Formats: sequence, C-alpha cells, structure tokens
Amino acid sequence: MIDLIHVTKRFGATTAVDDISLSVAQGELCVLVGTSGCGKSTTLRMINRLIEHSDGEIHIDGQQIRAFREETLRRRMGYAIQSTGLFPHWTVARNIGLVPRLLKWPQARIRERVEELMTLLGLPVSEFADKYPRQLSGGQAQRVGVARALAADPDILLMDEPFGALDPITRETLQEELRALQGRLHKTIVFVTHDMDEALRLADRLVVMDQGRIKQQGHPLELLREPADAFVESLLGGEDRGLKEAALLPVSERMLPLSPRLLARERVAHDASLREALSIMLWRHAERLTVVDDEDLPIGELSLRRLVGAKAHE
Amino acid sequence: MSEAIAKARAGRAWWVPAVWGALLLAACLGMGALEGLFRWVEPDSRAVIYARADFLTLLGRHLLVVGVAALAAVAIGVGAAVAVTRRAGRDFLPLVAQLASIGQTFPPVAVLALAVPVLGFGTLPIIVALLLYGLLPIVRNTLAGIEGIDPGVREAARGMGMTGGQLLRQVELPLAAPVILAGIRTSVTINIATAAIGATVGASNLGDPIISGIVNGNTAYVLQGALLIGLLALTVDSVFARLQPAGPR
Repeated sequence: MIDLIHVTKRFGATTAVDDISLSVAQGELCVLVGTSGCGKSTTLRMINRLIEHSDGEIHIDGQQIRAFREETLRRRMGYAIQSTGLFPHWTVARNIGLVPRLLKWPQARIRERVEELMTLLGLPVSEFADKYPRQLSGGQAQRVGVARALAADPDILLMDEPFGALDPITRETLQEELRALQGRLHKTIVFVTHDMDEALRLADRLVVMDQGRIKQQGHPLELLREPADAFVESLLGGEDRGLKEAALLPVSERMLPLSPRLLARERVAHDASLREALSIMLWRHAERLTVVDDEDLPIGELSLRRLVGAKAHE
Repeated sequence: MSEAIAKARAGRAWWVPAVWGALLLAACLGMGALEGLFRWVEPDSRAVIYARADFLTLLGRHLLVVGVAALAAVAIGVGAAVAVTRRAGRDFLPLVAQLASIGQTFPPVAVLALAVPVLGFGTLPIIVALLLYGLLPIVRNTLAGIEGIDPGVREAARGMGMTGGQLLRQVELPLAAPVILAGIRTSVTINIATAAIGATVGASNLGDPIISGIVNGNTAYVLQGALLIGLLALTVDSVFARLQPAGPR
C-alpha cells in the first residue's frame, strides 16, 4: 500500500509536482497518465527516492519512506523502465538475479527463482538464460526487465513507461500478459504512461495528471463517463470516448439469451470487448452476432441495437 | 560465427607478443652478431657495439621506470576520473579534465629540467615526468568510458537498490574497462619512447646508448638504442592488444 500525502517536488524555482495526494491500495494497478512534463515520472521516482520529495509525506505500508535506507527501500520495490537498463555485460539469468543477489539469497535459491520467473514470462530457460541483452529483441528485453523487477518478490512494482519503446503488437501482447500476471500475483503497481489506450487497458485506478497536479482519478469507466473538465475529456480521446468505453466492456455485459430465430452467421467470443463486436458488425455488414463461449458453442446473441441502445439508456 | 572469429583473432594475437618479445630478447643478447652491419654504418669508430652496460640490464631498468610511472598514472588517473564522476565530485570534473590536458602539453624535457633541482639526478625525476605525461590518456579515457554508459543502466542499477560502491565495481568499471585499457595502452606506449630522455639526467635505461651515441657522434649506438626501444614498444603494445576485448559488446 502506497500513500502520498500532500506531496510537492520543486526543482529550483519550478514546481514539478504540486501538492498531490494519492492512495494506492494493496493489489491495485494504478496508472499515472498525462502529457510529457506533467510530473508523472517525477511522482513515480519519488516513491523509491530516486528523487527526494520537497514537501509532504510518502508512506509504504504505513511507514514513511524516509525511515528506510534508500537501498533497503528500493530492494523492496520492483522497478522497470522504458530503456530496460539491463546490464549489457551480464547474462539474462544474472540480470534477473540482481536484487536477490543484493539481498544475499543463497545461490541455489537465486537460480530456482530466476528459472521460475523466466518460465512465468515466457522465456525458455535453456534458450535465454545465457544470452546477453544485445542478443534480445525489444520485447524479450522488456520481459527480462519485468522479470528482474519481480525477482525478489516485492509487494510493490514501479513501472515507468516500460512498453513505450515497443512496436504496437508486442506492446499489446505485453500489456495483456501484465494484466494476466497481475491477476495471479496481486502486486501493488504504479504504472506511468502517456498512452491513453494503454492506461485504459491496464488501470484499476486511473490518475490523470497535468502541470504537476492530479486532475482526476478513479476507475477508467468513471473517468470516461464523467470527465472532470475539458482537459481530461480531450486526453481521454474526445469523440473517441465511446469506442474507448466499448473497449473496456465485455460482450457478455450486453448479450441477450439465444432467441428462437436462426443463429446469426457471424460470431464473437463472449470475452471479446464491445468494441471488437462493433468492429465485426461494421466489417461484416451484420446487425446481429452470435456470442460463443470458450468451446465455440453459441451461448447468446448481440444485436447492434442492443450494443448501442443499452448504452443510451444508462 | 562471431565466436569463431573472436577465437581465431585471439589465437593469432597470442603469438604476436611472443614473437616481438623473442625478437627483443634476441636483440638484447645477440647484438654482437650484428657487428658487421654496425661497422658498415660507422667504419671510423673504435667500438661499434655499445658496451658500457649490458643491454638486458638497461632493458630491465627501462621497464622498471615505465612500469612504476604507469602504475602511479593508472592509480591517480583512474582514481581522479572516478572521483569526479561521483555525485559529490561532479563540480571538479572540468578542472580535472583540464589539468590532465595541461599535463600533456607540458614537454617531458621541461618537467625533467624543473624536477632535477628538486628531486636530484637519477630515476625519480624521469618517473615524475612520465607520470605527468601519461596521465591525460588515462583520465580522458576513464571519463569517456564512464560517461559513455547508457544512463538507463545507471538508473536501473540505482533503482534496484545498488549502493554507490556496487554500482562502480559491478557496473561502471567493467563496462568502461575496454576504453580505460585503451587509454593505459596509449599512455604506456608513448612513455616507453619518452623514457629514453631519462638518460640525460642520469637514469640509466635504453636511452643511454642513444644519448651516448649523440654525444660521441656514434650513429651505431643510436641505432642500437632505437632498435631496442622500438621492439620493446611493439612487444608491450601487442600484449595490450591481446588483453583488449575483440570489439564493443
């Protein structure tokens, strides 16, 4: 659990972060989003004291972060950054084992943990353990970066645009994996990004920042439905908001039970988003879709009218 | 495939210093065999092979002077460069870079001339002169090596909870090592040649035959000194070439 209480950061005469208060609950994935220079990275780096805050208090599990030695504090938190920062002269396995080694775990336990993490992140041990970072693709390097951040099993994970430099397909894959990983590990994650689609896809709590202040925070759907002002609205995509909201809602939410009519020819998975369903309708010129379960068996249907109409009544 | 190339390169590189070293030893021990050649160069002199001291002894002293100066230059140069790249020492970075440059613009002969009245004749003034002269390449390369590390690597190292000492020993120095080594190589190779002027202030080394040859108008002596210094420089340089990793990682 992380609490920021009236935190301010000044660099000389400029105020980078201006009196923000934020509380991230245990197991919550909190995304800080905003334009460049809005203070989101500074906020993140104050949590592990790479930047010292000027005013206010930051607490981890109720304890002030200044009560810890810097190194002790940082070893308790995972840290992943956009440039990965993998050590080029160390193998993948050694890079991942960095924090456990700093914490003086026994060798055997480190090896076991490294192999466990490589498997968890889809990096076959036999293939990758002895490779050097320069031999990895961008996506693989970032997986290693995330594995390294998770190595000592920290409760807190700080991620600074970790997927920002990846191509869109790899980025989306890693976003999905992070969500899946979070579903199993329940870490407290603070994630910084300027990509609103990424933010909406990942966040349990979305925090919109501008000029060092928090403009609005809450569940992504709350922000989409009731943006606090024009800035938040434009950042959330303006007229595109309808699609962004549809992307967050699963088909099962609007699905109707199977009717006695003939099954519609086009199908959509029950866990697909409404946005995907809409796209299929547009592409296939269909007003009705059959919703199928994991085994590809029909379990319901979704009409265009239902897809858009139900929303209008809300 | 790149490993095969590296292996082939390493395999070739090992016999290079061995050959230069063998030539150097052969020249030290068997200079007399070349008497005919030197007689042809210097037909009028009474003696054509430098005999005031044994070449092997001169070689040993030459190595000693260069070695001591190099060790001191590495300790001071790397130490200073590391100190000014720490957060506390940042302010002194321009000063140290400038001092090292001045060290190299100052001619070693001038250093000798200034050092002798203070330190007396002998080996000490030449060591001081070589030390000052050899500092720049080491300081410059150590700075370049450390500053050239991807800032993301340093950020990650600190963010993971490495202490300053761990960052330096496990990350910065290993990553900067090839560049630092290149600086030491330049410094030592230059100083092997420069050390010869030590003979003018009574530090006996491979410069002796050269100075003596110039004073007595005996070109054969000059050639013998130059030959040995040249071979020594090539030997040492090829050892460094072997130590250096094949390419950037």
